[in-house]
Amino acid sequence: MARSWATMADFEDFLDGGGLVEVDDDMPDAYRRAVFAFIEMHANSELMGGLTERDWIPKTPGLRHKMAVLAKTQDEIGHGHLLYMVAADLGVKTRTEMLEDLFAGRSRFHNVFHYRAVTWGDQVAIAFLVDAAALISQQAVFKNCSYGPYKRILRRIIAEEGFHMRLGEDRMMRIAEGTARQRALFQESLDRWFWPALQLFGPDSKPDDVLLRWHIKSERNEVLRDRWVQKFVPMLQGYGFTIPAPDLRWDAEARRWDVGPIDWAPLKRTLAQGGPDSARRIREAADNWERTAWVRAALSNGDAAADGAGR
Amino acid sequence: MHVYEVFTKRDGRDEFRHVGALEAATDELALVLAREGYLRRAEGDRLWVVRRDHVIVADDNFVAPNADKPHRHHDGAAVAARRKASRQSQQ
Repeated sequence: MARSWATMADFEDFLDGGGLVEVDDDMPDAYRRAVFAFIEMHANSELMGGLTERDWIPKTPGLRHKMAVLAKTQDEIGHGHLLYMVAADLGVKTRTEMLEDLFAGRSRFHNVFHYRAVTWGDQVAIAFLVDAAALISQQAVFKNCSYGPYKRILRRIIAEEGFHMRLGEDRMMRIAEGTARQRALFQESLDRWFWPALQLFGPDSKPDDVLLRWHIKSERNEVLRDRWVQKFVPMLQGYGFTIPAPDLRWDAEARRWDVGPIDWAPLKRTLAQGGPDSARRIREAADNWERTAWVRAALSNGDAAADGAGR
Repeated sequence: MHVYEVFTKRDGRDEFRHVGALEAATDELALVLAREGYLRRAEGDRLWVVRRDHVIVADDNFVAPNADKPHRHHDGAAVAARRKASRQSQQ
């Protein structure tokens, strides 16, 4: 077997020195659980995001964009596959257990997938603002992540998320250059999605956050959130849209945008599955899983025990 | 279902490289999932999948002895010094 560490202090020295933990290492149980929970939430979010994206395939305007949405849906479901595998290998839960927990509302996924995308403008706002937020977070994790298998999978996920973000930017620019009605549509979507996208980063990191201490994440939530604000506030304003933040101000001295106080109650509600669209989303995902059981059964040569399957 | 390890390679470049793993019901489906999961944008043109329980894994203790065989190396320092001394004596 691979490496082991006599004490947590030894293990933390190893991590502080830039060490990468591999799946067969005898890692401390607390680290195993922390890295597992982080990857499980990422996997769940990819799956829930992919299902949302799928809903838009028939409604996407134009063949070129329809094909791109189809590809993006496959990407997201693919990311789910890769991440559930990395998570399952940690031995905390099997893939089936993770899926069962997700569909029963027992595990978490990102706040933005607890809201409903009503218009095409919403879909554009998600592809642009939310995918960018996810990308900023993932890049920060990838940079110094101490868990090797996750770091390696993130490399390819980030490459594909980059395509999604550029696609979102492309769509946003088309709308920005469009008719007054198109611009009004996107402004409404911006009003709905600006805050959920910003809240994706979470509240300021706590000083004792183990995800930071164990180099699972490498940057604090508030740093990542600020990076997003400094990039998107001027960009959206540049296209003539209004940022839905009444207390937004430009701090001339620090040369940065300040969005004002952030209300974290909506984020907390989504974490407890109490977001505006949480119940419907989870139910739809669970129904989808049941409706497709016959496909999994057929693929497993009718072996019901292997359905969905773990080990 | 079985767990498969996935290896990919770009023609003319690099060795086959381990890129990750996946779960699939059959060998054929493992290939499909590997292609759609790991080679979505022509990141390679060769693909191997190997069932994880078919991979023969060496124990660390088996591999370890070769980390301590300095006599299998020669860093050239001793030769370089002699060459230099030889050149200087001929001048």
